[in-house]
Amino acid sequence: MLTYTIRRLILSIPILFGVALISFLLVYLAPGDPLGNFRVPNVRPEVLERLREIYGFDRPLHEQFFGWITNYVQIWREDAWGISVTYRRPVLELIAERIPATALLMGSALFFTVIIAIPLGLLAAVKQYSWADKIVTTFATIGYAMPSFVLGTYLLVIGAVWLGVFPFRGMTSSLSQAGDPLDVAWHMVLPVASLAIQSIAGWSRYVRATMLEVLHQDYIRTAKAKGLGRGRVNFRHALRNALIPVITLFGLSLPALLGGAIITEGIFSWPGLGSLGFAAVIQRDYPVVMAFVLLGGITVVIGNLIADILYGVVDPRIKY
Amino acid sequence: MTDTAYEVRQAQLDDTDDLDRTEVRTYWQLVRQRFVKHRMAVLGAITLVVMIVLALVVPFIAGDTLSVSASRSFGEPEIMNVDGEVTLALLGYSRVGQSHFGLLMAATGTSMMIAFAAVLIIVFIGIAIGSIAGYAGGWVDNLMMRFVDVAISLPALFIIIAFVAFWGASIWTIILALGITGWTTAARLVRGEFLSLREVDYVQAARALGANPRRIIIRHMLPPALAPIIVAASLGVADSVVTEAALSFIGLGLPTTVASLGTLLNIAFEYLNREPYLVLFPSTVLILIVLAANFIGDGIRDALDPRQRVEGQ
Repeated sequence: MLTYTIRRLILSIPILFGVALISFLLVYLAPGDPLGNFRVPNVRPEVLERLREIYGFDRPLHEQFFGWITNYVQIWREDAWGISVTYRRPVLELIAERIPATALLMGSALFFTVIIAIPLGLLAAVKQYSWADKIVTTFATIGYAMPSFVLGTYLLVIGAVWLGVFPFRGMTSSLSQAGDPLDVAWHMVLPVASLAIQSIAGWSRYVRATMLEVLHQDYIRTAKAKGLGRGRVNFRHALRNALIPVITLFGLSLPALLGGAIITEGIFSWPGLGSLGFAAVIQRDYPVVMAFVLLGGITVVIGNLIADILYGVVDPRIKY
Repeated sequence: MTDTAYEVRQAQLDDTDDLDRTEVRTYWQLVRQRFVKHRMAVLGAITLVVMIVLALVVPFIAGDTLSVSASRSFGEPEIMNVDGEVTLALLGYSRVGQSHFGLLMAATGTSMMIAFAAVLIIVFIGIAIGSIAGYAGGWVDNLMMRFVDVAISLPALFIIIAFVAFWGASIWTIILALGITGWTTAARLVRGEFLSLREVDYVQAARALGANPRRIIIRHMLPPALAPIIVAASLGVADSVVTEAALSFIGLGLPTTVASLGTLLNIAFEYLNREPYLVLFPSTVLILIVLAANFIGDGIRDALDPRQRVEGQ
């Protein structure tokens, strides 16, 4: 297991290198001058030239890239990922500061997804073609087709405009209430619901499909033929195997959750990573933009790794 | 005795009951029959066609009612205006006097145009990369698939947002951004098909006959690999419509002067407190497009799969 993990991590280095290169090119090829802000009438051309030299913009592309990437791997230095242009603070520090808010939002959404989607999917599979199955399948299809920002807007209309019981935006009502768990939970209801409903739709479809597949296997027929009760067959024999592929969804949904954060955090003004990345794009805060792209790549690599490791943990047939 | 040998043979044939008299059907006839059996897919196709026709026709009929006019502010729904001109303002008029329905259909047209153009790029890149990797195999395949791995690991939505923000939002940058980020699934599917097709006898035969690779790829391998490409394309339409809407909704896509499903949602969000029902129009169309495209994709996938049989076959 350990050697497998290490081997996988080493194999992911070229992928991260590729992601870093594209992240660099995205910013390097963008139209406009990085020194555009300094191009005002009272700045002499010599000063601009000097700045160009100091920042290394006069050097060839590959030198700039390797200079940048050698800084990037030195994460023990606080300015390794550069200094944000907007906040004038190290990017690493900004990201670290935003992780808890995003993790809280995503963690809660994932928690509700698991405790709601798995029973729903099982119910739909065990009672296939019943009215319960039809309701779950219809809900899952519509939820799957409904983009997260549409769902978020609907929830805002219902929860904040019509009912008027939930706040419109933010994480806390006032500065004095900052960190009050009840207040934060109250602010979390709508964004978590909008994230969770969508992933519940996807997960319950998936759970239903895997459970149906298992239920049609020979050993289930054998168990039934032996005269075992329905509950024992469904929950002792079928459920355990049906959940194996579901567990890998944990890892695979990690990048999707980070991606969804950009829009959902934007709608609800949630002060997390998504808002940081969004603001960075608008303000052309290049160091933060590059960090965000790389963070996305790291999330995919880690998510896939978690999925594969979990698969090995829950499925004794798989050996590393 | 005037019976010819032919007539005798006919008489014999008429007597036999065990002859299969099912008409011979071509591959595409079978595909069509299987697709028509898929009720949700047919419904999706009809929905999509109706929407495309309305999106093309309604903005022309609506004409003047798409522009701002104080006299029409919050006007009631109507089919004809007081002058007897057909306006098709089925959903009434907005606060600035624009026909909701006319605007909605114009927006549907813009969004679909963007999505179809993006899917064209997606399919083109997907086929190019997937077919070369799958046909060549070996180290070429390995290298190209590592490139695909990198592309899959990128946070696509964020890259699109950044690309459009840096290069200036317009219909063309959005199409380009959607196209250059969305091709990975198509490329993988095409590559998978090609890897198995290159071992098939008739492809081997074509190679033995000395056909050049371009001919083998385009004439012999692409047609049987079309099924997954079509499915990926119809899902790509759904994805692209949603992503464009998301971009314009958060204010980084098209300017609100251009009607698209995203910009209409963006405007509706501004008036969320006073006129919350405005959200309903563009979002319903958006959900319908996604549902329709998904059902059509499912239907085509099942229809193109020869293992699915048609009754009476």
